Amino acid sequence: MKKITSFLCLSFLLFSCGEDENPIDLEYPEIVVTENSFPLQCSVLQRGSTVEFKALFADNVELGGFSLDIHHNFDHHTHSTEVSDCNEDPVKAPVNPWLLIQTYTIPEGMTEYEGAAEIEVPEDIDPGDYHFLIRVTDQEGWQTLHGLSIKIE
Amino acid sequence: MNLFSFLFLTVSQSIWGLLIPVATTDFHSHSKDVTEYMLSTTDTLPKTQELQEVVVIDQAEMIRREESNAIELVKQDFIRENRGGSLMKSLERVPGVNLIGIGSGASKPLIRGLGFNQVLVVENGIKHEGQQWGADHGLEVDQYAADQIVIVKGPASFKYGSDAIAGAIDIREKLAPSEDGVGGSVEVGARSNNAWYGGSANLFARKGKWFAEGRLTLADYGDFKVPTDSVFVYDFGVALSDGHVRNSAGEEMDFSGRVGFLGDNFRNTLMISRVHTKSGFFANAHGLEPRQVDTELHDQSNRDILLPFQEVKHTKVINRASYAAGKNFIQMDLGYQRNDREEWSQYVNHGYMPAIFPSEFPYPSTLERAFDKEVFSLNLKDELFLDRHEISFGASGEYQHNDIGGWGFLIPAFQQYSVGFYGIEKFTVNQLWKVTAALRFDHSQIEVEAYQDWFPSVEDASQATAEDYLYRAEDFKRSFDSFVWSLGFNYSPGDLSFKGNVGTSFRMPIAKELAANGVNYHYFRYERGNADLDPERSLQVDLGVDLSKEKWLVSFSPFVNYFSNYIYLNPTAELDILYGAGNQVFNYTQAEVFRYGAELSVMHQLTDQWSIELLGEYVYSEQMSGDKEGFTLPFSPPPSGILNATYKPIGGAVFENPYFAVDFRVTERQNNIVPPEKVTPGYQLVHLRAGSSISVLGQAIQTDLQIQNLFNTRYLNHTSFYRLINLPEAGRNISLSLSYQF
Repeated sequence: MKKITSFLCLSFLLFSCGEDENPIDLEYPEIVVTENSFPLQCSVLQRGSTVEFKALFADNVELGGFSLDIHHNFDHHTHSTEVSDCNEDPVKAPVNPWLLIQTYTIPEGMTEYEGAAEIEVPEDIDPGDYHFLIRVTDQEGWQTLHGLSIKIE
Repeated sequence: MNLFSFLFLTVSQSIWGLLIPVATTDFHSHSKDVTEYMLSTTDTLPKTQELQEVVVIDQAEMIRREESNAIELVKQDFIRENRGGSLMKSLERVPGVNLIGIGSGASKPLIRGLGFNQVLVVENGIKHEGQQWGADHGLEVDQYAADQIVIVKGPASFKYGSDAIAGAIDIREKLAPSEDGVGGSVEVGARSNNAWYGGSANLFARKGKWFAEGRLTLADYGDFKVPTDSVFVYDFGVALSDGHVRNSAGEEMDFSGRVGFLGDNFRNTLMISRVHTKSGFFANAHGLEPRQVDTELHDQSNRDILLPFQEVKHTKVINRASYAAGKNFIQMDLGYQRNDREEWSQYVNHGYMPAIFPSEFPYPSTLERAFDKEVFSLNLKDELFLDRHEISFGASGEYQHNDIGGWGFLIPAFQQYSVGFYGIEKFTVNQLWKVTAALRFDHSQIEVEAYQDWFPSVEDASQATAEDYLYRAEDFKRSFDSFVWSLGFNYSPGDLSFKGNVGTSFRMPIAKELAANGVNYHYFRYERGNADLDPERSLQVDLGVDLSKEKWLVSFSPFVNYFSNYIYLNPTAELDILYGAGNQVFNYTQAEVFRYGAELSVMHQLTDQWSIELLGEYVYSEQMSGDKEGFTLPFSPPPSGILNATYKPIGGAVFENPYFAVDFRVTERQNNIVPPEKVTPGYQLVHLRAGSSISVLGQAIQTDLQIQNLFNTRYLNHTSFYRLINLPEAGRNISLSLSYQF
């Protein structure tokens, strides 16, 4: 196999199939879980309360922005970033599910940033299983998603 | 079978000896249109097979030797033997040609890594309009109706106008029947992977100077299968039922007809065609995010097309009139086409959209987006054949009217027109040298209509004022002027032939690039146009070396290309909230781009029965300015090659012209990526092809069998529409087709 590949490379005479030396940024930003992070996988939020979102973001070059997305998981769809082992309630139909989408900026020039936001959990929403999605971008346009399963009581 | 192998295997040395002088003296001074015109009396009927082969070889070789661009001619035989689910899939084997596959039944072309509106598709002389809007829109062409395809790999704006900045795919129907009488053909086939069955039938008749032809093509297929149990759509795990890509089934029904008059000087053909396709989108990868899919409902049947799906009706009416008198050949094409596309999906509210779809809305709640494009075109040309000069002048004009519909919004409605004038001179210096020069001027204008949201952007809709209904697009007008040139040579000293071309090309920005402003539900991203974009300009140098000597056929075609302002969709650090539902914002922007690459094709006849072939392609792109400086361009195909062995035993009374071929395809890893792409691992695939004309009760039935992806290899195609969600390509696929001519 290697031989054939090398042969194909050779056959392009002028054009190498070799390593590309460009110093372009191919690294995704990171969402780092620390002891301060909230919510965590399987965290429980109370209706009518105000909670403080906290997460550490890091990038090798420069961070861009982040967004939060809370939506119901009454249908038990899955996320790849966390294992769902939070004793899910039975599947149910949504009546007044909570949907929160909020975007936030990160000051310029940061390679590390402690993201924080106050979130009010409305009184009148359906309790149950929810997903808490965190999206973070870097200046190059790479985006990382982190999905958490939470419960609202 | 590749063009080269076709040439090599059907032509003995003695014919080559005879043919080339003929090609360089007699035919060489005529354009290919005139050649077709002249030769149409001797083509198409099986009885004139031998003569036809000579004609075909002559034409293919002549085009290669006459055009200074990098050019490939593909015949119906090649398409039949390599037939895939869509026309571009069938052409994938041609070096320098790739595709963006959308499921199993649709695809769009990529030439040397560029596609979308940078590759122009011409069908029967008229520019095909419709496939360019987005990555999910395939090419609405009936591959059974395509008889020969000229692929220009490189800028061809001087001849075809805007959009041919990266190349052109010129699809032509069969020539008119040559003798009085009635005939036709039937082709039927089946494919295992997506349980595809379909076929095409045509009937033609000629009486005196009149002829008529009709064709009907039908296809129906189920969900395609991939060698995996589950995929991760971005962040979401999706289990597949028995490897079936949920809801990727589809159906197609096309018909076409033509009536023509073939006079001694005057000829006229009226063509009408309609391509109608309906195909499902992968249900788990459409919407604001991949969720809430009723898997039970979807998995009940692998053949049903449920939401989300797209439906396209493409209708064309083309009239071609030509007049040949003395040294003049005048041609006029008049065209009308309508591309009516609907994307159906369940209503999903986001931002301030009402949770419950309003019943008074003029569209059903499942019509996410509708596009309705009408295009009127006119092409005029006059070709003059004067001793050693072949001069052509032409003019073209196009008017487009575009409407939109549905509850979703991405691109506003728009009108555009364009006019162009060109002159091309081909000068035969002597037997060995030929020089081509071309100039073209274009003027175009686009008028974008304003778009206002149908819902107010306030918390409480009952308190909404007129200002709360936001404008997503302002109306504006842009006009563009463009002047391009091209200069080339052909030098053919015997076995070797050299060609070179240097030229500029342009492309005016399209409505999507100027005025998009909405969520792309396929990719969960927010796309935003830029009304200030300039027309794309490109400068390209093409070279070509061909060798045809004894048992060798070698072709090498390198190129270097520079874009002063390449338009692309740039992912930013921004996340949208108003309309984007927290999705990442992608802006249309432009940057300098430098590209180079080459295609190689080597064919060697080992014995009378055995031949081997090596095909390879390589392209490198780099952005030289802008936000993504140093990065490549999106959809850059990785280096790849095909090693082929073909065995053609001597046929018998029952099995005529049998062939067995094996393709070993090696595709390199693609490390050269740009956000949001992912590094795509390399892969190796084996494809088998075999076929023969089988004599049954005195009738010849052409039978072709293909096994694609023999080892059911799980691999990702870097240029596939579903690459971003890590969906592997189709697994093993056994395809059988039978074709009968009468």
